[in-house]
Amino acid sequence: MLTQVFAIAVRVLRQLAHDRRFVALSLIVPFFIIWMLNIFFDAVEFPVFRPKQFIVPAAAFIVHFLTYVLCAIVLVRERTAQTLARMFVNGYQRSSIITGYILAYSLLATLQSLIVLISIQVFFELDYAPETMLAIYGVFWLLALISIALGIFVSNFARNEGQVFPFIPLMTMPSVFFSGMIVPVSQMPDWAGFLSTFTPLYYAIEGLHALTDNGGDLAMLWGLPPYGLIVLTLATLTLREQE
Amino acid sequence: MNDDAVHITELRKNYGKFEALRGLNLTVPRGQIFGLLGANGAGKTTLIKVLIGLGRYHSGQVSVLGLNPQTQARSLRRQIGYMPQESALYEDLSARDNVRFFGRAHAIQNLEARIDQILEFVNLRERQHEAVHRFSGGMKQRVSLACALVHQPTLMLLDEPTAGIDPKLRETLWMHFRTLAAQGVTIIVSTHQMDEALHCDHIAVMREGVVLASDTPRGLLGRGTAHIKIWNGAQVVDETLAQYPEELPRLLQRFHLDPTVSRIEVVEDTLEDIILNLINGKVPAAS
Repeated sequence: MLTQVFAIAVRVLRQLAHDRRFVALSLIVPFFIIWMLNIFFDAVEFPVFRPKQFIVPAAAFIVHFLTYVLCAIVLVRERTAQTLARMFVNGYQRSSIITGYILAYSLLATLQSLIVLISIQVFFELDYAPETMLAIYGVFWLLALISIALGIFVSNFARNEGQVFPFIPLMTMPSVFFSGMIVPVSQMPDWAGFLSTFTPLYYAIEGLHALTDNGGDLAMLWGLPPYGLIVLTLATLTLREQE
Repeated sequence: MNDDAVHITELRKNYGKFEALRGLNLTVPRGQIFGLLGANGAGKTTLIKVLIGLGRYHSGQVSVLGLNPQTQARSLRRQIGYMPQESALYEDLSARDNVRFFGRAHAIQNLEARIDQILEFVNLRERQHEAVHRFSGGMKQRVSLACALVHQPTLMLLDEPTAGIDPKLRETLWMHFRTLAAQGVTIIVSTHQMDEALHCDHIAVMREGVVLASDTPRGLLGRGTAHIKIWNGAQVVDETLAQYPEELPRLLQRFHLDPTVSRIEVVEDTLEDIILNLINGKVPAAS
């Protein structure tokens, strides 16, 4: 299985190396968004709101959203080009395909998370200790990996690239409202609090709030690895081999 | 257990209410080039997908190389090669990278040497490092064939491999198929181009999810009739012969053909023959 996983990861990375525009945009876009947020926050006077506290959860959302969207399309492309069918017939296993993709895209996610972290540090002049920044980066990175698995899981339900688009707001809108990024989960009604547990951003933001002395619960970060494993298992089980 | 490459009994498969395969029966002997002929929508691709374990079927019995493709797909896929209708390649990668990627799924010893060998076979050694998106349709099909062959399968399933390819490249692909068959590989090839039937050792003609006839090309030709028109002065004789070469002398005896002539055959070039001969320079082009 490991040979297959590495073969797929190497192949995807080679393809990414050929698609320089995709890679460049994937890395420039988060930097650009954070720069725009900085200009916006500088231009508006907020009586109570503190942009420095908001930007860390917002950056987590940027990481989650971008990696999720980028990966939601990948297996659909393989399916429509019939390369997925060919992979199966040539003996590649479902678990190898999913793991290989996650391994390859995790490299891009590592760079993207780093760019997001550097961008918020540069534009918002955060004054957290180096170990706190390292922990924040760890949360971003883990969230990015889960978002890759989530994107691949969702792409299993689409037969063509157009069918992927309805799934994008389906996952990201609940993340915006129920994750605790805008309103703390403790102030939400019970049903909204229940829904928040289905979004990975909830666990990440709770942890990030704790790391940045803004309330939250550091222990909630332990929710991320099992969440990732569940999504990975679901992505593998729902990858259809037969029609 | 039988020794045929493929044995199918009463195979049925539906897409919703649409019956794609309707009680199909088929036997493919080993070591042959076996053609699946039929118009678009006859069920050829559906049948191939069932045979490679990518399509579920609802009833019937299917045995491919003695294995059930639905429940023993993993074992079966080590022995089969599949060439889909589209080239199904990673266009931004080189021909060699594509073959290497599909080869890595199998534990092939000396994979790089095997890739050299297979690229030589499909005449792509010189352009092996070029990105596939720069290739013509025919070259992409040859890369696709190489990807299907890299693990040395004993059964090849080719879904319309010559669709959209010019006659010369079509001939090249058929030459590759004949070479493989000579090495003992069983080849099942689907096509809707009826003239390709003559390349096959055996043909199954399909329509609406069933096999209408399964025979050798010569056997199928024997089922046809010949229409003969003879202009004799003002009189036109119009006859249909069920046994064309054998019955023709008897007809011509009415016009004083020597009774000792027992058989007359007229073999005309088909349009494909003429075009191929022109391309290959066997016939001079008209000035």
